[in-house]
Amino acid sequence: MSEILRVNNVSKHFGGLMAVSDVSLSINEGETVGLMGPNGAGKTTLVNMITGKYDVDAGDVQFMGHDITKVPTYQRCHLGITRTYQIPRPFPELTAIGSVAVSALHGKKRQNQSFEDALTDATHYLEFCGLFSKRNVLGKDLTLYELRSLELARALATTPKLLFVDEVMAGLNPGEAMKAVRLIERAKEEFGVTILWIEHVMAVLMKAAQRVVVLHYGKKIAEGLPQDIANDPFVIECYLGSCHA
Amino acid sequence: MELEVKREKLLLRAGTQKFEWHIEPRYWRMPAIWIGLLIVLPIFIYIVYPQLLPTIIDANLLAAIAIPLGWMTIGTGRMNFGPQFYIGAGGYAAALASIHLGWGPAPTLLVALVAGLFFGLLMSPLSIIAGGLYYTLLTLLFPLVFLEVTFIYTDIFKGDVGLFGVLPLISVGNFTLNQFLICMLALFIMLIYLLIVDKLLRSKFAPQMSAINDDEEVAEAMGVNVKKVKIISFTIPAVMMAVLGWFYAHYYGTFAGITYLPLSFMLKILMVSMIGGRVQIYGNVIGGYFIAFLELVLIMLLGDYSPVVFPIILLILLLTLPEGLFGLYRKRRYREYLPTLHVRR
Repeated sequence: MSEILRVNNVSKHFGGLMAVSDVSLSINEGETVGLMGPNGAGKTTLVNMITGKYDVDAGDVQFMGHDITKVPTYQRCHLGITRTYQIPRPFPELTAIGSVAVSALHGKKRQNQSFEDALTDATHYLEFCGLFSKRNVLGKDLTLYELRSLELARALATTPKLLFVDEVMAGLNPGEAMKAVRLIERAKEEFGVTILWIEHVMAVLMKAAQRVVVLHYGKKIAEGLPQDIANDPFVIECYLGSCHA
Repeated sequence: MELEVKREKLLLRAGTQKFEWHIEPRYWRMPAIWIGLLIVLPIFIYIVYPQLLPTIIDANLLAAIAIPLGWMTIGTGRMNFGPQFYIGAGGYAAALASIHLGWGPAPTLLVALVAGLFFGLLMSPLSIIAGGLYYTLLTLLFPLVFLEVTFIYTDIFKGDVGLFGVLPLISVGNFTLNQFLICMLALFIMLIYLLIVDKLLRSKFAPQMSAINDDEEVAEAMGVNVKKVKIISFTIPAVMMAVLGWFYAHYYGTFAGITYLPLSFMLKILMVSMIGGRVQIYGNVIGGYFIAFLELVLIMLLGDYSPVVFPIILLILLLTLPEGLFGLYRKRRYREYLPTLHVRR
């Protein structure tokens, strides 16, 4: 498996707060890597740096061998990096099909693609995520589970190579959460995307991830197989308290 | 011969013959009908009551200003409170070229276009840098600063007297015919603007603008080049508005900043947008005609009191018709993939 993403010693601070400090990680093509850590560990900040929302204070980000540290967010999306959001951020005044069509139109450069082509593509992704019947419903009128599915459909429509899934379980009941997990696994199988999965729920990562990276207070404290991480006393201590990395 | 309205059909019986036409609302949306009506109206007025022609010209110009403003608002996701700045830029550029160089409307149009493009490009980064109230206040400020500049440099802009001696837009000798032709030109410009923006809102450029209007950050994460869209959505409407400044300068033969740059003119344009239907492009046409005729009626009925009553009526309308006049017709249609306005920043 070739390396798709390499993050070298990245750091980010907001004023006096060091949100991410000297973190390095790499992801191989086709892999599902879990990123976990307590609240405020810097998981979302790290993803924001990789996707381009935040500038990197130190270090560099390489995607498929190219340095993308200074590449704008939309170009990173064209290259094949996309994400879902922890708190769903739909386009509230756009219909579900319209939202996905935006991604289908602009995600990856396609030759001579019309708006109608994008709508056809969007239909396919909506159907995949079980939202076909809701295609003409406005974003603001969807339920939380539907919003999560819409976020996934929107992300997949950009035809990504690397997908960041940010806490997909948050706010869902156990049944919905399992459906969401299955949907992501199916997306990986059908579209061949590599996934970096941010999650609090250890059980999900144990099942879905091949490798887990643990952050705490902005630093990487552990990396390894899910079973090893689950049994790591330092990680357990960090989750239960009394640990200062 | 018998004419009958039956359900959604119009029946005409003539002897043994029967003709029927569907009058379903969906057929009413046919643009040709409305464009035809807009063309027939000035012809009818020219024949019956030509004194109304200036009001029709005003209505078309107000709508023509509001249409690019709608594009600018949707594309940048921000409410611009200073569209008259570009009217001033285009108007002054055309008037100065016409007076000092003796140029007619055709070459001065080019000057106005260049002025609009220059100021549009110059101001467009504002839509990227500033947001919310700051953007609104800054855009509100520019025309007022421009007005001050016209007072400071009176030797160039002739202060509140304005530049006069601008060559006429059309001159055929007959005043009424002149007015009619100018009216048709104003209508033509308005319809061209309507066509351009309509085509744009049905193109693949529209979802980009919708996404930016909804959530810029997510739009960028989904691959939309937000800065490019904003610059285009700011600059081209600015050029379109500058052309209307050119029109005003040549139509009246004079151009004074005090007429177009103050807040009162801006208020009228915004009212066209809001009363018409919250920056709905077709609503702008309805809004333009409504405001122009309302103003005329109020001046005729109330005379000096009309400047007080006019905004009160508009305010009441804004409160009672949040979706504008066009909203009375346009029900929310989920299947419509056109961007609509909901600026909240």
